[in-house]
Amino acid sequence: MKQDDSTILKKYGKDPGFKVPENYFDDFNKRMAEMLPDVEITPVDVKPTMWQRIKPIVYMAAMFAGVWCMMQVFSNFTDSGNLDSVRAVAEKLQDDKSNVDEFIMSGGVSDYDILSYEDSVAMSNKADSTVDE
Amino acid sequence: MAAREKYDEALVVEQLHDPQLCKTAFGKVIEHYSSQLYWQIRRMVIDHDDANDVLQNTFLKAWTSIDNFRGDAKLSTWLYKIAINESITFVNKKKVMNQLSIDDDESFLVNQLESDEWFDGDQAQINLQKAIATLPEKQRLVFNLRYYDEMKYDEMSEILGTSEGALKASYHHAVKKIEQYLGETE
Repeated sequence: MKQDDSTILKKYGKDPGFKVPENYFDDFNKRMAEMLPDVEITPVDVKPTMWQRIKPIVYMAAMFAGVWCMMQVFSNFTDSGNLDSVRAVAEKLQDDKSNVDEFIMSGGVSDYDILSYEDSVAMSNKADSTVDE
Repeated sequence: MAAREKYDEALVVEQLHDPQLCKTAFGKVIEHYSSQLYWQIRRMVIDHDDANDVLQNTFLKAWTSIDNFRGDAKLSTWLYKIAINESITFVNKKKVMNQLSIDDDESFLVNQLESDEWFDGDQAQINLQKAIATLPEKQRLVFNLRYYDEMKYDEMSEILGTSEGALKASYHHAVKKIEQYLGETE
């Protein structure tokens, strides 16, 4: 990408033409250090806390743990044995009888209810086939 | 000449809060930052003697408020902020002294550049400085920090308290204005 300042840079460069007296910075540093007035300094512990020191390591470990977890999940999905078990569960769910069994187990449905249900299903199937004809 | 001690910012910041070592530590800060701060100030105030005064005020202000520096920001960011504020205050005072409005541009600072003994640039450099001086204060700062110091926008954002997007836009506008000014004068 073309830089914004490329035209100026090409024509004028980065030297603004300013200069300073010889040894200016050495003299300035010396002079400045000497003229510093006395000030009251409150001692402060600016050392990083234990948490601040270990924070990057903890974050890094958490990141690797996250990546590892994602890899585990991914490998479980691609594992064919696991796919088989998922397929088996899906087939089981599609099986009407097994659903009824689950319903009976959890709902405490009586035999009379089942017979009534099967009769109503048979009746509706018959009605459907009649309509189709 | 004795070799200079290696500058360790973390150690220096720690020493700045130790009453026994703070003055020596601040001496190291002066030694380390005087040059880069000087050039930033000089590009703002143009004249060497003025830049010297502003640099001196910058370090004095930093030293007298060193107790407020807790190391949350980088030392360089803190010093740049002080230097920029001092430069702006100085230029505004000089405008008042020259009976100019605060809203006037800083071209008057460049007018004496040709006769300045601490300037050895050619007419093209003077024109560039004049073009920069016509920019609004913020654009001028952004241009100087980016063009001459090659400062990254994130660092500039911390110093100037402006979003990186706004700084990029400012720089783009500054460059366009400078190019237009130079195109008209040449």
